[in-house]
This record gives sequence, structure tokens and C-alpha cells, in this order.
Amino acid sequence: MLHNTHMAQVIPCTEIHYVTGTWTMTAGTVAGMIAKHKAAGAETAVVTVPVQIPSNSIALQGAKLTSIELDYELAAAAATSVTAVLHKVVRGIEGAVAVASHPTITQSLVAAAGAETEDTHKLVVTLSTPAWIDNDDYYLCEFSFVFGGAVTVDIFAAVVNFTLRV
Amino acid sequence: MIHNTHMSQYIPPTLWHFVTGTFTSVAGTVSGTIAINRANANETSVITIPIMIPSNSVALQGAKLVSIEVDYVVKTGEPTSLTWTLNKVTRGVEGSVASVDAITKTDTIAAADSHAVDEHKQVITITTPEWVDNDVYYLLEISLIAGAANNTEHFLGAVANFTLRV
Repeated sequence: MLHNTHMAQVIPCTEIHYVTGTWTMTAGTVAGMIAKHKAAGAETAVVTVPVQIPSNSIALQGAKLTSIELDYELAAAAATSVTAVLHKVVRGIEGAVAVASHPTITQSLVAAAGAETEDTHKLVVTLSTPAWIDNDDYYLCEFSFVFGGAVTVDIFAAVVNFTLRV
Repeated sequence: MIHNTHMSQYIPPTLWHFVTGTFTSVAGTVSGTIAINRANANETSVITIPIMIPSNSVALQGAKLVSIEVDYVVKTGEPTSLTWTLNKVTRGVEGSVASVDAITKTDTIAAADSHAVDEHKQVITITTPEWVDNDVYYLLEISLIAGAANNTEHFLGAVANFTLRV
């Protein structure tokens, strides 16, 4: 059986989910990069990263999710805050709704004292207890951006870190 | 340890990034297929394919990117040119921007032929295949100068070929 604790998977900005605000595909701030750009607007935008890594129906096999990193840039002004929440979604059986829970995480940059500054950021969300992913589960990492009127954001990509055991 | 030199990953057009132009999801020419259509307009569009393969923080493990195949159709009229650039993005640390380097590669379809009205499979082969670090990702950029000819294109999908070692 292989067991590799250093696997990673990039999730491009095109795969990420955006709610609230005007979002468009734009070139990144560095030539050759891509971004999803949000126009200025005093509102709370929710950016959700679908954690697309393998899973397995056998316990302790497949992927063990360790952390999620989000690369973004706040421009023109600081935001009010950037807060991460991890959702574990247990899919419903036929006729039943899914059930979401919220595993404990830490974020490398404090929501309103580091993550919100006008700068280029790499925000790392680390699970307090890394989790093996069942084939009936998936994870969504949600970032709530609270904006004042002037600030814009470019979302570049996310990277998911995990152990692979198959 | 697994070492498989024949791995591939399909990247659907729904994950691609499009800047400048009107791009819409449409049925492909062949029933049952999907495409992203670029509407006719005299403009320069930039189409970017995020290369979604695994990576690894340990040297010589994870994925070694070898080539990328792109399926597309130039439908009506011939655009002026298509230019292909493979960019390697090295993510910045917290507070720093990323850097981008163009990777040396070869194209199976010459520049003069890649914009002909036809069904195309362009294969981009990296001159020196690279193991993908977890702080790196790759973007294949197509710069399409449409010109005045009445032309539309369908983008069907891409396949990344790589070695997997885990």
C-alpha cells in the first residue's frame, strides 16, 4: 500500500464558487496569471473552494485532508475581515437532504488583523484533526470577505494538501 | 512506491478561463459533447487552461508534467493567429506576489496551421518535463487574434499527460 503524506492539488479560480458581488475573469496582476476579480462594493462576498481530492469508501484509505491554502490579493483598500469556515458535507441518501458540520480549523492570518490588509495573501486553513474522506462526504472551504466600498479582490487559486493512501 | 508514466487528466472547458469576448456554453458539434463557443468579433481573446494535476512538496514525487493536448474547432472563417504559451506560476509567500516563467515547449501544429478552419488537436510538449512542486502550478495560455474574418471557435477540452510517482 502506498502512503504519501506530501500530496497537493491546485484548485484554479475557475473552479471556485462566488456569491454576492460582481465577479469577472481577468488577467492576474502578474502577466501570465489568471484571476477571478470582484469589483468594488460594500458587501459581504462568500468565496467557496470545493475541495476536489479523492475519497474512498474504506475507512483510513483514500485522502486525508490536512489543509487548504487560498492565494488572493486585496487592492485599493483593506477589507474589514476575511474569515474561513470549513464545511464537511455528508451527502443525503435518496430523498434526504445532506448534513453539514464544521470541523475545527485554524487560519494562518487573523480575520481582521492580517487577512484583511491591502496586500497579496496566502491564507492557510489547517484542520485541527485531519480527516479521511469517505465517498459519501465532501468538503467546502468557505471564505467570507467583508468589504467596505472601495476594496477589490483578485482570487488566484487554492491548493489543498493531503495524505494519499491507496 | 507507484511509478506510472502514462497518467492523464481530462480538463473540461468549463474549468478554463476566458478574457475578452463572448463565451457561452453550447452543445458540441458531435451530439453528446460539450463546448465553450467564442462568438464572432474582431478582438484578441485570451484563453487559459489551468493544468489540474497533483503536486507534491517532496522533490521527484507527485506528478511530472509531460504534455498537454487541446481539442478545439475553428468553425467559420479563419482567425489571424493563435499563439500558445505555457506559464509556470510560482506562488508567492504571504505578502509577496507570484512569479511567472514561460516554459520551453514544442507545438505539434505549427502557428501557421493552428488557426485553419478545421478540427484541431494541438499537443504542447514540454522540452524538459518537470516535477510539480506544491508551490507551483501551470497555465496554458492561448492568445487568439480573431481579426476581421467572420470566425467562431469551439473549445472542447484538454488532457494533461504526466508521470505519477507516489
